[in-house]
Amino acid sequence: MENATTTTACTDAQLRRLSALLDTVLPASTDGTLPSAREIDFTAYLSEQAPEFQEELIGILERFDDNFPDLAISRRVDLVRVFSSSDAPAFRRLVFRIYDSYYQSDRVRTAIGARPGPPFPNGHSIPSGDLSSLEAVKARGKGYRR
Amino acid sequence: MSASPSNEPVDVLIIGAGASGAAIAWSLTETRMRILCLEQGDWMMSSQYPTTRKNWEAQQFGAFHVDPNVRGLEADYPVNNTDSPIDVLNFNAVGGSTIGYAAHFPRLHPSDFRVRTLDGVADDWPVSYDDLEPYFVQNDRIMGVSGLAGDPMYPPKQPPLPPLPIGRVGEVVAGGFDRLGWHWWPSDAAILSQPYEGRDKCLNLNPCMSGCSQGAKGSTDITYWPEAIRAGVKLRTRCRVREVTVNADGMADGVIYYDADGRECVQKAEVVIMACNGVGTPRILLNSKSPQFPDGLANRSGLVGKNLMFHPVALATGVFEERLDTHKGPNGCCILSKEFYETDPDRGFVRGYNMQVTRGAGGPLATAMRGLASGDIPWGPGHHEKFRQRFDHTVQVLAVCEDLPEECNQVTLDPELADSNGIPAPKITYRLSENSKKMLAHGLERGKEVMRAAGAKEILETPLLRPSGWHLLGTARMGTDPTRSVVNSWGRSHDVKNLFIVDGSIFVTAGGVNPTSTIQALALYIGDRIKANLANLFDD
Repeated sequence: MENATTTTACTDAQLRRLSALLDTVLPASTDGTLPSAREIDFTAYLSEQAPEFQEELIGILERFDDNFPDLAISRRVDLVRVFSSSDAPAFRRLVFRIYDSYYQSDRVRTAIGARPGPPFPNGHSIPSGDLSSLEAVKARGKGYRR
Repeated sequence: MSASPSNEPVDVLIIGAGASGAAIAWSLTETRMRILCLEQGDWMMSSQYPTTRKNWEAQQFGAFHVDPNVRGLEADYPVNNTDSPIDVLNFNAVGGSTIGYAAHFPRLHPSDFRVRTLDGVADDWPVSYDDLEPYFVQNDRIMGVSGLAGDPMYPPKQPPLPPLPIGRVGEVVAGGFDRLGWHWWPSDAAILSQPYEGRDKCLNLNPCMSGCSQGAKGSTDITYWPEAIRAGVKLRTRCRVREVTVNADGMADGVIYYDADGRECVQKAEVVIMACNGVGTPRILLNSKSPQFPDGLANRSGLVGKNLMFHPVALATGVFEERLDTHKGPNGCCILSKEFYETDPDRGFVRGYNMQVTRGAGGPLATAMRGLASGDIPWGPGHHEKFRQRFDHTVQVLAVCEDLPEECNQVTLDPELADSNGIPAPKITYRLSENSKKMLAHGLERGKEVMRAAGAKEILETPLLRPSGWHLLGTARMGTDPTRSVVNSWGRSHDVKNLFIVDGSIFVTAGGVNPTSTIQALALYIGDRIKANLANLFDD
């Protein structure tokens, strides 16, 4: 785990449910190259970047029982799917926050081939590309009307 | 609300500091008139653009969203899109929507100005490509356009800077066009491929549509405005115009606006120039009712707000086995094809479309969220496998279709929805014509065809892209007949001789290309006509 930060807004039981929810929405990849979302410090992300979402998150966590973390992933997926069907906007907001946290992670970005950090100021280098076939395009002659 | 401050009268008052307002402000500086521009947004700071932050992608879903209804910033006004399959997009700031555009910078074609003569539909423009050609050149120089000369689909033109790199994405899709024997060419872009006029070259950051941190993209806050302000133009920000006022003679005599503190203010002027885009301009004109103009200012033709044109967009997304680095490079500017731009009666529709190849779905968050919305990339088990197939492996080809003017497609004032100052919001009433539907279907099929030819292993279809209403055109059209147009051939209102319109509202037809280059060329053209007619500006 990158960090074990917790938020004072959540109870221990809610944090257990959150951890399971993160693992359900984004489990680790089967080849082991990508971590589960539970391994990313989601609560620190919330505190720093989306504090306004914390209250809604607690409400979402209350939709799940205390035994949710103990269920097999297939059962957890079923329950999350029920939630997504019953309140699609809230589910979308939750997933957005999980994805945002996950895909900002340096570890994740490195694993997917995206450089960590913001694009500016380093930018990217891309090849000019081969323009040689444009000679054939030009050879077709004028293609506009007046 | 406190007392109404009044300001010193000016000679020329420009409403809106975007693409066209900046261009005409700059053009008129040589007159040494007192010129003031009122802009409802504020100056942007490149250091605050998303790409300077680790959460750069998330900001594109919030404060830098392309849709003002989602952004909901103080500078924005709401738009009622419920009666339209296409959402209006814009950006409100100094620079206007050039802050948020992709800077794909094609010109309208010569045939676009003569659609009645050539194809028997809509109306010819009262100006031609040749009339605007010197202004295209002037505008390319000021905005900083990169491109490649020699495109046989245009009259000869020479962009001031060499083309942007097309990258592996461009090479792969160009291969598809080559195999089909179709036209393609590197896009003209208002993005610097080399250092130019004190601005540095593009860093290939990718999300051009949330502002350019590098300043390589030509938005008018860093191109026209610095020069115009140095020459004496005043620019007052966070000032939202409610209405244009008229005197007893029916001439425009100024505006009423709300300043940053919400105070109602009066600004008197000898000449008023509207530059608020194809939705903002008719909104203000329709809200400017008076005994002389009970249906809105400059609206004796009844055409203010009517003939709204977008560019309906269909897109084919090709998924490639090869990694194409599609999150690198200017998102909207790669290569294009004009193969289906000109009318061919055998296709079953008139006019045509531009095929614009972009660089994919964006960064990881955008890829994942778009996949979630479409159902293409699941959450839960299976996410990573599908994500890997998509991220940096997808390319989009857009069919940017010419919309034809229809009076039923219009901007009106919403009877209930209003902005933070209580000004009625625009309501969009729009339907796709049968011609546009056929063109979209054709464009989607050709997009799929080129993706297959380029080697895509899978193709995803979007028959109509809802968030595509960047191009807002036709709602105060030019023409020589006052009963069938709102302004004359140089942007002057038929009804109000000291009122000019210079934005996309005055387009007679839409063409099938992104319009900013032509909007700005028109503004410069109108600026020159105003200067040439200063001695008798208000004469019949």
